[in-house]
Parts: sequence; structure tokens; C-alpha cells
Amino acid sequence: MNSTFLNRLSHNWLTLRKPVSRLQAIGLGVACVLVCLAGWWFLTRGAYESRIVGPLTLPSPAETFGKFPELWNDFALTRNVLVTLRRVSIGFALALIVGVPIGVTAGCFPRVHAFLSPLIMLGRNVPLAAVLPLMIFIFGAGEKNKVMFIFVASVAFVISDAARAIMDVSARYIDTAYTLGASRWQTITKVLVPLAAPTIFSACRQMFGLAFGYIMLAESIKIADDVGGLGYQIQIFQRRGFREHIYLIILVIPMVALVIDQVLAWVQRQLFPHVYGGDGVLRSLVRVTLIPWENMKSRAFYRTPTSLPSVATAEGPK
Amino acid sequence: MSQPLPASPGTASHEHVVGMGTVLDHVRTPREVLRPHIVEFRNVTKTYNVGKAEEFTAIRDVNFVVEDIADKGEFICVLGPSGCGKSTILRLIAGLEPQYPATGGDVLVLGKPVIGSGSDRGMVFQDYTSFDHRTVLENVTFGLECLHMPRKQRDELGREWIQKMGLNVENDAQKYPHELSGGMRQRVAIARTLALKPRIILMDEPFGALDPLTRLNMQDLLVKLWKEVQATVFFITHSIEEAVFLGDRVYLMSNSPGTITEELKIEPANRPAHEMQRQPEFLEAVYYIRDKITKLESNP
Ligand SMILES: Nc1ncnc2c1ncn2[C@@H]1O[C@H](COP(=O)(O)OP(=O)(O)OP(=O)(O)O)[C@@H](O)[C@H]1O
Ligand SMILES: [Mg+2]
Repeated sequence: MNSTFLNRLSHNWLTLRKPVSRLQAIGLGVACVLVCLAGWWFLTRGAYESRIVGPLTLPSPAETFGKFPELWNDFALTRNVLVTLRRVSIGFALALIVGVPIGVTAGCFPRVHAFLSPLIMLGRNVPLAAVLPLMIFIFGAGEKNKVMFIFVASVAFVISDAARAIMDVSARYIDTAYTLGASRWQTITKVLVPLAAPTIFSACRQMFGLAFGYIMLAESIKIADDVGGLGYQIQIFQRRGFREHIYLIILVIPMVALVIDQVLAWVQRQLFPHVYGGDGVLRSLVRVTLIPWENMKSRAFYRTPTSLPSVATAEGPK
Repeated sequence: MSQPLPASPGTASHEHVVGMGTVLDHVRTPREVLRPHIVEFRNVTKTYNVGKAEEFTAIRDVNFVVEDIADKGEFICVLGPSGCGKSTILRLIAGLEPQYPATGGDVLVLGKPVIGSGSDRGMVFQDYTSFDHRTVLENVTFGLECLHMPRKQRDELGREWIQKMGLNVENDAQKYPHELSGGMRQRVAIARTLALKPRIILMDEPFGALDPLTRLNMQDLLVKLWKEVQATVFFITHSIEEAVFLGDRVYLMSNSPGTITEELKIEPANRPAHEMQRQPEFLEAVYYIRDKITKLESNP
């Protein structure tokens, strides 16, 4: 009796790779948060002296969240989040603007890849802790060094991921494009890049999360006065011994990351409906904005061919 | 070119009839055909990995000639054991690497050596090669887009071809390839090739992955459309029935290194595939070829 019940339970709940409904997934996530909070509360309950974990190590949930208004108002949480976000975004956008075209070129032309591979190797393995002081020598203590630090930390990964994505597109698509009369340039822009784009996008989405971690490192070096940003704040709180604030920021960061990731996921879905389903709003938008450019090319290059398709001949005599 | 011809053109004594087919006792040489040549192979050899340890000669001294039959084109089927070099020959005509360029000999299309690929030689592959990021309509109009044909014009033409290929314009045109069955994908692949009206259509086992019934339907459709587009077709298949049904001519190939050993002329198909393929004359030709191929496979 009991064993059949357990069997059924394990069948219903632990089927291998069985998808969960959205509602259940959210419910389970919330449950995890509650369990953690409960554990936190349990470890830090009671008077200071009788706690399992002392208040200097871990303040209780109530103490921690009680500091939130202070963090929000007196320490300008939103402003600092935005400052940090701006730095990561600019640095990462630069890395994309530079890295994706180079990566695509390297993926298309193995000679270019061979030529660049020492640089990519260097960039991927560069010790970031050593780069940071260098950035300050080169770009000074202001905004520039932080942005450039993110750029340097991520550009090599962007290049190599983009190159890999292009190289992973099956050669049969190139053959097909060629036998349909595509030029090399058309094959790159109409076949290789669009087919590799979803892979490149999701690699970059992951990397953005990493870059968000790197920026804390860059911000925690205090040279100039109030440079702002979450990393800088952590630094200040540490010096003043504000444990609660640090814990709060540690909790805020994943939430900000989650929001950004959800936005990127939405962009991804709307750009690549052939992979993620849906109606592809952004893809249509891209298409529509390209129409004038395409029409211009049609006017410039298209000559009605004599032997080529025309509706009348394709249908035969009417 | 210097060796004497085994027979003068049209000598019947060296040919024999097997059902729907006529076996020529040799592969025709350029001197025997009167019309201009659309495709000609002169002593073509292809060796892969030249100079490396895994050097391998896939085809050696392949010679054949296909006439340019005006306003009709010929349907050539290529049969042979696996690995004998059928795809190699097709891709040499298409000008696709790494088969192109040939290691030796001349590959001529309309009398000129093939230089790279082009839309005059369309190709349909066995693997599904639909562009996953494009809708059916965008797939079908890909080649036209590359020619910079204005959007309206090419969409109109594309819809027409989607319809001709037996797909539903309303429902299917905006679908993505992953939403299609294998048969539908091959229809899209054929439509996008035919929309460019190539002089030569190269098909490498295009129906190889389809179920038997879909396959028969596709054969009928192909016969119908081929008459319309008036192209010379090279069609590789492992199905002898398919070759005899579709082909005006069948080339048999032998193994390692591959070469064309026999040429058959086949009467054109005049009824639907499932009916045709039960006729005794049809079966006679099929059995003849099957015996030949079995022999080729048993003593290479
Ligand atoms: N790129 C390549 N590099 C090395 N060898 C190759 C290459 N392509 C084909 N070959 C070899 O050349 C021979 C002929 O290959 P090909 O693909 O032309 O055969 P096929 O007749 O099309 O076979 P199948 O009926 O199985 O498709 C095979 O033995 C194959 O291993
Ligand atoms: Mg093959």
C-alpha cells in the first residue's frame, strides 16, 4: 500500500525531465526563498547573546530589512544601481560593437581566426585583478577605467563565442545558399549571421550576468571621492561596519540581475521566434526597418532578366 | 578522344531492350550526340586529401555527356552502390567545395568549364537545408532576394511556387521550417530551387528521408513540375524504381574508384507513379538494373 503510494508520488513528482507548469515553477521558487528566510530567522532568533549565529556575523532578517528605508533614502539605492548599470551597459555594449563583427569575421574566415587566436587566448585568460590597476594607469580614476575594465574583461569572450557560433552553422547551409545564387557577402548576412544569432545572443546574455559581477570589483577600488555604484557602497559600508546594508545589497544585486535577464529573455524571444515560438515582434520590427534599404538595393541592382522567372512563364501558357 | 569509337551513332545492334529501358553497351561519347552539350565530363578524376595519408580517389576518368534538349531538358538518374562517388559528381557540377575543383579532367557546362557555384545550377540536398530563421515564403524567395528582385514581385512569385508545390499558401507561407514535416520541407527546398528557373537541377537523394507514400507523391509532383521548368535534371537515388520512373536516362556507377559503367535510355513515364511502378515492362527494367548493381556491389 504504502510503497505504491510512494511509487505514485515519485512518478508524479520526479518524472525525468518532465516540464513543470509556470505556476508550479514560481511556487517552488517562492518556497525556496521561504525556506531560506526561515533558516535565516532560526539561526538569528532571540537575544544577541543566545543566538546560534552571532549578530556580528549575521544580523537577523528583521534587523536587516529594517535598514532598507535608510539604504533607499539616505544612501540613494536607485541612483547607485543606475550608476552601476550604466557602467556595465556601456562597457558591455562596446564589447559587443567591437567583438561581434570581429568574431563573425573570424568565424567566417579561418585565416582571420588563426591570426587573432593569440589575442583571443590572451583576452580570455587575462588576470582581471592585474588588469584593474593598469586600467587606472591608462584611463585614470574616473568613469572611463570602469567602463574599459568591463570592455576588456568581456570582449575576448564575445569574439570567441561569436566565432564559434558562426563556425557551428552546418556547411550545408552555405552550399545551399551558394547554389541559390547568393554571393559570399549575402551568404554571411542572410544565412550565417542570422543562423548563428540566437546562439550569440544567449552567450552574451550569460556574459552580461558575469560582467555585472566584474563591475563590483572595479567599483570597489576607491580612489576618487564618491564614485557611486553598488560596489563602492559595499566598500563604504564595510568600512563603517554596516553589515545589514551589505546583506541588503547582496540581495538587491540578484534581483536587479533577474530583472535585466528577464528583459533580455523577452528581447531574445521576440527576435528569434523560430527558436522560441511566439510572434516575433522585434524580428518584424527589424524587418520593417530594413525594407527601405532593401528597396533601394532593388532599384539599384535589379534588372528584369530575360531568361529568369517571370510569372507568365512560370505558369506556362495560359 | 583518340581511341576509336566502338559504334557509329544510332547502331541498334549494340543496344538491347529491357522492358521500358534500352541498354546502350557503352556510355555515349561526345561524338555520338548531335545536339549541344549541357553537361560534359572529360576524364574527370577527384582525389580527396591529396598528398596526405588519407588520400583517396573517389572517382577516376569519368566520361559522359548530356545533350541540351531545347524546351525540354533531360532527366538523368544516377544509381550506384554507396560511396561510389555519386555525390562527388553532382557537387562537381554544382561547383561546391571540397569536391570542386576536380583533381583532373574537365567539367563542362554548356561547353565552358565550371567555375564555382551559381544559381544556374540549383541543388536540392537530402538533408533538410531550409533556412531555419526564415518563413516558408522567405525560404522560397531566398534566391530571388539575392537577385534583388523587388519584394512585392518576389513574394507573388514565391506564393505561386508554394501553391505549385502543393503547400497551402494561407496556412503555410508564414510558418517556420521547424513547424513542417520532412515532406513539406523538401517541397520548400524544391520550390526555392525551381523559382530561380535553373538550366540544371541537381538533386542528391532528395526523397531519401521520406516515407514511401510521400515519396510517390513527390515523384508525381516532380514529373509535373519538371515538364514545366524545362531543365536538365541530375537525380541521385538509391531507389531503382524511382530512377526508372523519373529518368529519361539512367547512369549506373561502379565502385572505388567510381566510374560510370552503363547508360540506359528509359521511356518517359506516362502515368502516376503507383500505377506505373506495377507495369511488367517497368519491373523488367528495374530487375535488370538491380541484378547489375548487385553484381557491382559483390565484386568491386
Ligand atoms: N570531403 C571528403 N573527404 C574525403 N573523402 C570523401 C569526401 N567526400 C566523399 N569522400 C569519399 O569519396 C567517396 C565517394 O563519396 P560520395 O559522397 O561521392 O559517394 P556517394 O556515391 O554519394 O555515396 P552515398 O550513396 O552513400 O551518398 C566515398 O568513399 C567517401 O568516403
Ligand atoms: Mg551521396
